[in-house]
Amino acid sequence: MPIREKGYYNWDGELKTSRFNWLPIFMNGIKTVYKKRFSKFVFAVSGIPFLIFMVAIYVSSKPELKMLSRLVREIQTDALLFNAYYTNGFLVFMMMVISVFAGAELIAGDLKYKSFTLYLSRPLSRMDYITGKFSIVLFYLLDFTLVPGILMILFKIIFTGSVSISPRVLLAAFGFPILVSFFLASLGIMISSLTTNLKMAKIMIFVIYLLSNAVAHMFREIFRSRSFLHFSIDENISQFGSFIFNTRGGGFYTEGFIAGIILLALTLIFLTIVMVRIKRVEV
Amino acid sequence: MKNIIELKNIVFSYGDLKAVDNVTLEVGKGIYGLLGPNGAGKTTLMKVILGFLTPSSGMGTVLGHDIANSHLEVKKKIGYMPETDCLIPGMDAVTLTAYLGELSGMPRQEAMKRAHEVLYYVGLEESRYRKVETYSSGMKQRMKLAAALVHDPELLFLDEPTSGMDPQARKEMLELINDIGTKGTMNIIISSHILADVESTCGYVLIMNRGKIVSQQEMASALHGETVNIIELKLKGDIAAFKEKLSGFHMEQDEKGVYRVHLPKDYSPQSLFKTAYETKVQIRHFRKSKVTLEDAFVTAIGEANAH
Repeated sequence: MPIREKGYYNWDGELKTSRFNWLPIFMNGIKTVYKKRFSKFVFAVSGIPFLIFMVAIYVSSKPELKMLSRLVREIQTDALLFNAYYTNGFLVFMMMVISVFAGAELIAGDLKYKSFTLYLSRPLSRMDYITGKFSIVLFYLLDFTLVPGILMILFKIIFTGSVSISPRVLLAAFGFPILVSFFLASLGIMISSLTTNLKMAKIMIFVIYLLSNAVAHMFREIFRSRSFLHFSIDENISQFGSFIFNTRGGGFYTEGFIAGIILLALTLIFLTIVMVRIKRVEV
Repeated sequence: MKNIIELKNIVFSYGDLKAVDNVTLEVGKGIYGLLGPNGAGKTTLMKVILGFLTPSSGMGTVLGHDIANSHLEVKKKIGYMPETDCLIPGMDAVTLTAYLGELSGMPRQEAMKRAHEVLYYVGLEESRYRKVETYSSGMKQRMKLAAALVHDPELLFLDEPTSGMDPQARKEMLELINDIGTKGTMNIIISSHILADVESTCGYVLIMNRGKIVSQQEMASALHGETVNIIELKLKGDIAAFKEKLSGFHMEQDEKGVYRVHLPKDYSPQSLFKTAYETKVQIRHFRKSKVTLEDAFVTAIGEANAH
């Protein structure tokens, strides 16, 4: 008998208690982003650097293709390989695109459609909500940084037949994409939490990215000081990459260290802004 | 557990404005109607109980859990149907309902199964795969009810549940509310401006004014005039003076010129003759009128304002 005729009846299951209350937000967000128009295109384009570097790794592992491998200067050492992959301009730009694509509407949409009430009327804290939303962007960013990084290590082992990668580079190959992805994800959801205008959220993320690069280079030219490059998102990522993979050689790379501190500090500032903003949302 | 909600001296302010002013309340099992004029503090009180807002002082429990410290436990056991349109666009009804079930702690498959059931129950079986943003306002109300019911809460808060519904849809919504309240083990609190909705569904009525609970009684006693007498009068003479003498009571005049005076139960209707004599007014018609919820509401608000 349909429930309508039978009348209301109680559900006989039991509600779960979990430390990961945000997990359904994450799972649902992953599906929602994947179902978006142009998602396959964006992800396919973001995967291009990985394919190129895979070819490069293969080439470098084959002595008969040694002539070709010399053409690829970046892959002479593991540190150079990972630094070149993680900090290449195209990948950083595509990470920014993913941050916009996956993150710009996440909180802005809930604020615009007042859906926040639906979340907070469930056994979720505001922190669970932020964690759930943040993890969605982080997931997609890591998909095109950390995951290809791990695959590159695995394929390198398969192609060369030996585990020659140094622990320091290995640690950097895991740590660097995580920090950069945290930075870009926090930027994405911070902007998303500051507006209810979905288009504005997307534009603002791009504007911040492009403006940071433009301003940094403009000031560097005017004042003839490389310190101004720390205004640039691209330059900070690049310098921190050089520092963490130790690709400059020689002594302590101060600029790279400062770039890492700046990225970390900005990540914390962005996340604090998101927390304050979400705490103040009235339901 | 005798009372499902117990509040003691709860205060919540927006700046200088006390939206909930020292509210002490005990709510037992059943269907309660929460009434009050605009700005009375109904929604704020609901939000305090739901844990959305933290009271500046006072304490309270909902279903045995402290509202200040255990609001996640409280939210597990309650369902909330907000007044505002808050559905997440881009999702179909069944996905959204199941998603909200999962957020409440239901296993995924159970949430999906239950989502289908509650959508059938609220009458959205044909439209459950449609995107929620394509729904009419009546369908959105049903969808919000399904979302509030999916995890089978012990206590259901309905904020203006019939808002934006046509008469037929409104009737069906009220039937659903009655069914939920009587068939299951669920307790319901309805906040509504539509007194007829509360009268037809609720067993108890709470009336709020200026942040305070000014009346709490069983619906039957409210409708049987256990707290108020409504007297119909036709008058001739210095009516202004008569009204002046009765200025502490609510008095209204209908289109036929008949006055309806709301008198508290402890005020003898016969004393109206004394007032008429003193003000040289003739009473040409005197009849005790049937009390409606609107009368009980008006009297409670009037008394509160007089104090």
